[in-house]
Amino acid sequence: MSTLGSAVRAGASALAAERMRIEVAVSNLANAESTRGPDGQPYKRRDVVLQTTTVQDFDNSLGRATAVGVEVAAVVEDQGPARRRFEPSHPDADKDGYVTLPNVDPAEEMVDMLGAARAYQANLTAIGLIRDLVQRALDLGRG
Amino acid sequence: MSEITSDSGVMAALRQQMTLAAARQAVAASNLANVNTPGYRAREADFEQTLDGKLGDPLTLTNPRHLPAAEPSGPASHEAAGLAARLDGNNVQIDRELLSMTQAAGEFARAQTALAAKFRLVRYAINEAR
Amino acid sequence: MTIDALKGRIPSGLPKVGGGDAATTPAGAGFSDALGRVVDAVESTESQANTAVSGMLSGTTDVHDAMIALQRADLTLQFSVQIRNRLVQAYNEIMRMPI
Repeated sequence: MSTLGSAVRAGASALAAERMRIEVAVSNLANAESTRGPDGQPYKRRDVVLQTTTVQDFDNSLGRATAVGVEVAAVVEDQGPARRRFEPSHPDADKDGYVTLPNVDPAEEMVDMLGAARAYQANLTAIGLIRDLVQRALDLGRG
Repeated sequence: MSEITSDSGVMAALRQQMTLAAARQAVAASNLANVNTPGYRAREADFEQTLDGKLGDPLTLTNPRHLPAAEPSGPASHEAAGLAARLDGNNVQIDRELLSMTQAAGEFARAQTALAAKFRLVRYAINEAR
Repeated sequence: MTIDALKGRIPSGLPKVGGGDAATTPAGAGFSDALGRVVDAVESTESQANTAVSGMLSGTTDVHDAMIALQRADLTLQFSVQIRNRLVQAYNEIMRMPI
């Protein structure tokens, strides 16, 4: 695997993964107050599980420096406890007057989203930088 | 002439510099890509090993130790020291990696410029010394 | 290709100097050796360049390594052409000498 080529691939994989994290965070925020979903249950917060991509053995044996990327292993439902709020007037309030709300903490989602955005931006910068280097390497073949 | 027909001397050194810079980029890119991966530890390129003259032609190197899959592969990278881990166990710092990439890009570019100049020089010498 | 073009310009018979067998006389051996070295260098760098370029296209070789291999092959060829020209020149001068 060309060293710089693998670096670009790694960056691109990060763009995809961080985008997914942002989308999930947005979805969590949008559904933070959703007491009843299509299945009649309150929305459950979703989480993106990231893992490092594995390098092919072939590249290992070549002994070249090869970058590793990241991939979304799974998007899981947060099984943490739901929030409960005392609001007897709510149509979904139980017999004690409490409403069960999604286990979404808006502040936490914002932090996740900003972190993902920052990582996205950094990897975008990295890709641009490496593309310039590849161009310079190609220039070596000229004249 | 021998410098052209055999990979030695200044040309080989410049080529080596470009390869090393590219390796640094690969390591930094891996770190940046995994900045939010739980448990991932930042790595950095190994310069000591590459300066002791053992590395002639990088194309013929074999990886002395088979690295676990979750790390950048290649002959010369190790876990970076002195970086504090966050709650998820990740210790990658974006600014540090971007700085490293910028520096490596500069080294790559400088070596490329020098190499290109050397090629032009040799070409001129060949064609003008008729 | 270019190797044949190189060889084609050197007459197949080397000059007989001093009446001995062309290949064993010092002058004959000198020309032959010089040209042989030159052709070897061109073949070597050219095959390295081919390997490097296919490596680059298949993603196993770095771009800069491939570009350097290309330049080396090109410069070696150019240099060899100059050497060949001088060899031919020298040969012709020798042939023009009255015995």
